[in-house]
Amino acid sequence: MIRLEGLGKTFGSYAAVSDLNLEVKPGEIFGFLGPNGAGKTTTVKMMTGLLKPTTGRVLVGGCDMALDPIAAKLAMGLVPDEPFVYPKLTGAEYLRFVGELYGVPLSDMKKRIPELLEMFELTPWGGELLESYSHGMRQKLVLGGILLHEPKILVLDEPMVGLDPKSGRLVKDIFLKLSERGTAIFMCTHVLEIAEKLCHRIGIMIGGKMIACGTLDELRAHSKKDGQDLESVFLSLTGGAEYSTLLKYL
Amino acid sequence: MLPVLLRRRARTFANTIGHWTGYEWARNAAFGSAGLGLLFGLHYGFYRLLKYLATVELIGLLLTWKLTAMLLLMTFSMVVVSSLLTALTTLFYSYDLKFLLKAPVSLRAVFLDKSLESAFFASWTIGLILIPFIGAIMRVQHLGPTYLAAFAFATPPFLLLAASFGIGFTLLLLYFFPSSRTRDVVWVFSSLSLTVTYGLVRFAQPEKLIRPDALKVVAEYLNFLQAPTAPYLPSWWLAEALRMAAEGNRSGYALRALGLWAAAFLVYGALVALAGKVYFIGYSGAQEGALRKRVHAFAPLFEGRFLRSRVAAALLWKERTTFFRDVKHWSQILLILGLVFVYLFSIQRLPLDSAELKSLVSFLNVGTAGFVLAALGLRFTFPAISLEGRSWWVLRSAPLGVGQVMRQKLLFSMIPLLSIAGILALMTNWILAADRFTSWLSLGALLTVGLAICVMGVGFGALFPNFTVENIHQIESSVGGFVYMAACLFYVGLTIAVLAAPMQMHFAERFGTGVWNPRVAMYAGAGWLLLNAVAMIVPWKLGRRALEAHE
Repeated sequence: MIRLEGLGKTFGSYAAVSDLNLEVKPGEIFGFLGPNGAGKTTTVKMMTGLLKPTTGRVLVGGCDMALDPIAAKLAMGLVPDEPFVYPKLTGAEYLRFVGELYGVPLSDMKKRIPELLEMFELTPWGGELLESYSHGMRQKLVLGGILLHEPKILVLDEPMVGLDPKSGRLVKDIFLKLSERGTAIFMCTHVLEIAEKLCHRIGIMIGGKMIACGTLDELRAHSKKDGQDLESVFLSLTGGAEYSTLLKYL
Repeated sequence: MLPVLLRRRARTFANTIGHWTGYEWARNAAFGSAGLGLLFGLHYGFYRLLKYLATVELIGLLLTWKLTAMLLLMTFSMVVVSSLLTALTTLFYSYDLKFLLKAPVSLRAVFLDKSLESAFFASWTIGLILIPFIGAIMRVQHLGPTYLAAFAFATPPFLLLAASFGIGFTLLLLYFFPSSRTRDVVWVFSSLSLTVTYGLVRFAQPEKLIRPDALKVVAEYLNFLQAPTAPYLPSWWLAEALRMAAEGNRSGYALRALGLWAAAFLVYGALVALAGKVYFIGYSGAQEGALRKRVHAFAPLFEGRFLRSRVAAALLWKERTTFFRDVKHWSQILLILGLVFVYLFSIQRLPLDSAELKSLVSFLNVGTAGFVLAALGLRFTFPAISLEGRSWWVLRSAPLGVGQVMRQKLLFSMIPLLSIAGILALMTNWILAADRFTSWLSLGALLTVGLAICVMGVGFGALFPNFTVENIHQIESSVGGFVYMAACLFYVGLTIAVLAAPMQMHFAERFGTGVWNPRVAMYAGAGWLLLNAVAMIVPWKLGRRALEAHE
């Protein structure tokens, strides 16, 4: 459903992402982990057409993002790391705008938008301007926006940031349900517990390169951390041995 | 603490330049040269004017200094208006305010940092225009480089004083009206009163300066020339300082220049002192969003009635909704309405005696109205792409092309701008009772100029997108804004030059001194078409390509 072939991005002489090859299948939740500056957001931006790759290509549902961006984007929903939305639109109007851009029939929007606002507990705020929304409320609204047009592929960059515990739980359940229905989900996160519980496969990126990719068991085997949680595996693969030495600066 | 805050600005500036690529160096050098060219052009115009004034017997110098005083008064009022528009966003809505205000930095230091930024953005472009004028004075009156130094010393406090008025007004507005709804109402009324004041100043007929016979007797004219132009405003003090520096009156100059510095320190110091008490209350109020519930009816979009594409209709609906909900735009609309009225009033007051002269002015109106349209384009059309701001990802990740976004931006600004172009052309032709040929020519030309200015606005806006700016003024005063304005002025000038040929033949026919030359008319028509094709296609294509590649 999503295929990255030899994807790379350089900024001047700095390689933010190099030769990334990856496939996410329908119904799969893929966790994309890595320390800050590893190249995760750059990858997300290239996948969603916000950034032009220097090398390689992105295939979304069989469509090449460079050759047919409109078809590729139609099949995809993005939750960016910072949910900036138009401050002078109301919550309901934002959803309507997204629905119009993605060709959702008006009759469906009439039914779905109030439901989505209700689901994310935004109904009392649906008529307020977005400039008065908190970060978490905007995050929920953006999630509501992608659920409105029911894409086959979700690309999520830190989707849990700013959500209250109840909303966080709701969002996790939504992702699981969508995955059961065949939606491919590509998720960047720093919350390892979420990745451990939700993701079928996990990729770990460091310095622009994918250093490990597989199921949790495969990663455990790769890092020789059998029976241990994702945090230990992650730290081991990304230089956890040096971790204890960092505390000396405290 | 202020030096630390200012150092970060210097560092940011140095880092920005330090990270320019070869392409960016070349691009900015090219645009910088174009800007310099524009300044030289202005200088030449001022020089010709001042040289002519200097030849007027007895009152030549009086005329020069009266003109200087009027130019400075205009500069002063423009900086005041400009700082009003800049101060609100810079002082109360900057991205880094949250960081600064939670740091152990005094409120006054933050205010100093932000108000200096506001004053800089509000005044630098307007202040820059003064340099070619001063250069012209220096050439005409054979003054040395010390005169430039005298100007450079006395001008900064003048600009700071002007900006302080706008900053002070905004500071007090936010303090007394922390509720956003009341503040919006007061903001609109303030703009309205500013528009009325502007109108009143215009209706006082400053054109008496170049029209001695409008005054009853010569003595009255001389009195008008010798009388101070707004003596209580710093523009008069600066005008006097510049005059005295030119006359070699050092003590007179020093008194006024130091007076300007003292006044700037006093007014700005009072503002800083006031800010310690009121700034935080205003900032706190500004954080509160306006709570007013709106019910969305899910009715078909109004724009869908005349646009087939749903995406196009949605984009236009979003433009319209977000534009009219921003109260800052209302005040600008009021100012534009005032500007249109004053423009037409000025046309009506022009001392034109013959029908031919009236027709000629009606044709030249394409140039002056074109300039007004370019200024409106700079305010509304050019920033349209950048004003998507950090929400740009919504459109960029949606299934639509960059061209579609640009087309809707164009359509949204084209409707009002072409209406204004049409009103200015039709009303001017009506007021001046221009002949039929001139009326049609100027109407057609002005509508085309309006269209080209809109297309160039969106094109240049896409060529120089900046999605991280905090206020519209930063977009306007950017390199891109400067290039856009220069391109517009160049285009308007070429339009007049190309259309001058058919106008000349038309007049020759009227006076019976010549006939129409079809070949010249054909060349002029082809030149006009080519000019418009280049003006519309090149910036659009370059902009579209740049926006698609924008990272």
